[in-house]
Amino acid sequence: MALGVISKEHLGKLIAAVSRTGRFLGPVDKGDGVCLTQVSAGDMLALDYVNFILPPKRMFFPRSEVIATHGSDGMTATPLPEGRVVLFGIRPCDVLSLVYLDKVFLDEKYADPYYRSRRDNAVIISLACRQPAPTCFCTSIKGSPAGKAGADILAVDIGDVLLLESVTATGEAFMAEYGKLLDKPSAEQVSSRQAQVAAADAKMARVSIDQATAKLRARFDAAAWDELTARCLGCGVCTFLCPTCHCFGLYDEQVGGQNRRVRAQDACAFPAFTLEASGHNPRTRQGMRMRHRMMHKFCYTAESFGEIFCVGCGRCIRSCPANLDIRETLTEVSK
Amino acid sequence: MSMCASANPYLAKPVTIEKITVENAARDLKTFRLAFCSRADREAFKFDCGQFAMLSVGGAGESPIGIASSPLDADYVEFTVKRYSTGVVSTALHAMEEGERLGLRGPYGNSYPLAAMEGRNVVIVSGGFAFTTLRSTIRYMLDGRNRSRFGSITTIYGARSPGELLYKDELKAWQDVDGIDMHVTVDKGEAGWTGREGFVPTVLGEVKPSSANAVALVCGPPIMLKFTIKPLLDTGFVPETIFTSLERRMSCGIGKCGRCDIGGKYVCRDGPVFSFKQIQELTGGQF
Repeated sequence: MALGVISKEHLGKLIAAVSRTGRFLGPVDKGDGVCLTQVSAGDMLALDYVNFILPPKRMFFPRSEVIATHGSDGMTATPLPEGRVVLFGIRPCDVLSLVYLDKVFLDEKYADPYYRSRRDNAVIISLACRQPAPTCFCTSIKGSPAGKAGADILAVDIGDVLLLESVTATGEAFMAEYGKLLDKPSAEQVSSRQAQVAAADAKMARVSIDQATAKLRARFDAAAWDELTARCLGCGVCTFLCPTCHCFGLYDEQVGGQNRRVRAQDACAFPAFTLEASGHNPRTRQGMRMRHRMMHKFCYTAESFGEIFCVGCGRCIRSCPANLDIRETLTEVSK
Repeated sequence: MSMCASANPYLAKPVTIEKITVENAARDLKTFRLAFCSRADREAFKFDCGQFAMLSVGGAGESPIGIASSPLDADYVEFTVKRYSTGVVSTALHAMEEGERLGLRGPYGNSYPLAAMEGRNVVIVSGGFAFTTLRSTIRYMLDGRNRSRFGSITTIYGARSPGELLYKDELKAWQDVDGIDMHVTVDKGEAGWTGREGFVPTVLGEVKPSSANAVALVCGPPIMLKFTIKPLLDTGFVPETIFTSLERRMSCGIGKCGRCDIGGKYVCRDGPVFSFKQIQELTGGQF
């Protein structure tokens, strides 16, 4: 493990150095929220934000990408993405979501080559949370405002400087590579980091997820699913913004005389997601679709991967137009 | 870094349509006999009875279809496809002609429990066009290289009308084969039909195949499955010895896209074959 501090004023130098051989993505204020965006040395980084509007899954599993083109001799795969990408500022909850997505996309038998290539090319510098939102609940599941799982380097904002700690060998190598821009942290800075992390942790909302989850399997046929989702519009924004939702579809389409295969994000919130050509649909009601989404996150993935596929980022709560709160849904249905 | 095509699980292999057989009077069921364009692809395609593959028509899309030929049919792979007017891929497939090219990837999913079936009697119950992967299984078991591995085979197979029965030539040929007891039935006969009339579950109740040292493979529409389970349980089959193949809409076929989930199991990866015991655990016994 390596420790280092970088002055916020020197971040531009780091960006410039990284950009010579790869890309640097950092937090940029877009007016209606902060987004993880490619930056160059002169750009202003936003360092005061709760979280990005969009989860980082799109950097590894884009909304839509052309997988291959069809020719007379078969299919030609789209070349894999190349080049190092440094992603700075992802919050620990979102970084944890990548650990979960790895379990889906990097299984032994059928690893997804595009996801793998982007993961292999990435250096992730996560940024610990200072001020959780009321919708945040990472500590109720498995996260922490300064959680390290999934990050190569964890950065903690302690005023004028960021304190960096390497988590993986990739992170340690990165810090060695750019060691000239880093200083050794003082004892005061290290203790200030502890205090900052503890303060953020103390502000986090707590819900008893474990108790509710334990009861969820037995509540498959509960009438509450339909009652709770009576106001759900089925817009799917919860799945779009969820850092762990990973449903997709493969589509063959013809564009400009060219046949191509596209992989695009999809969502279990939509009725056509499971609609079969015969007309049969195993999930006809919104309540059944909501049940599926909840069961998948809190039961099925726990059984198949040993992890609850929710990191407590709260995006689904913040953005639901019908004011649905996943924490309430979970506790209500488990009553 | 370059990657060889075989490592990309989303790419289909080119195949040529060698032969198209219209199976039924309604002409919405066709069997496509496909041959791989590349020898390496053909040799790499090894499957067991009950598995499926994704068939694709360039520009139209992909559909999961059960493999209807036997693993011992070395030179070709067959799929029987039902055309739905709402089905983009099945409609495009049915418009194709012999000699044209399709894409194929797979095989995917698990298979019927062939190892557990060895040395046991096999009862096959099927209705409609769900018979396809069971036809693969019958062809496989009746092959001279395999026949001694399995006990007696009892088949109860039904369709709405005589014209809707699949694989008519084989059904006729199997009547004369030792070691397989064929009971072919139609919901309603017509002029010239001298065979049995009656729904599959009713015929099953009449034939009453013994459950002693037996395994039952059951495929059909959900309503048939529902009424078939009871007579099987009544004759002494236990949920662990009854197997069926489930269908769900699929996209990736490899347990990632989230579409074919049933109670935490993916039909594409953990199925499509499930024991009735598993179905009871997953859905409370609903199909």
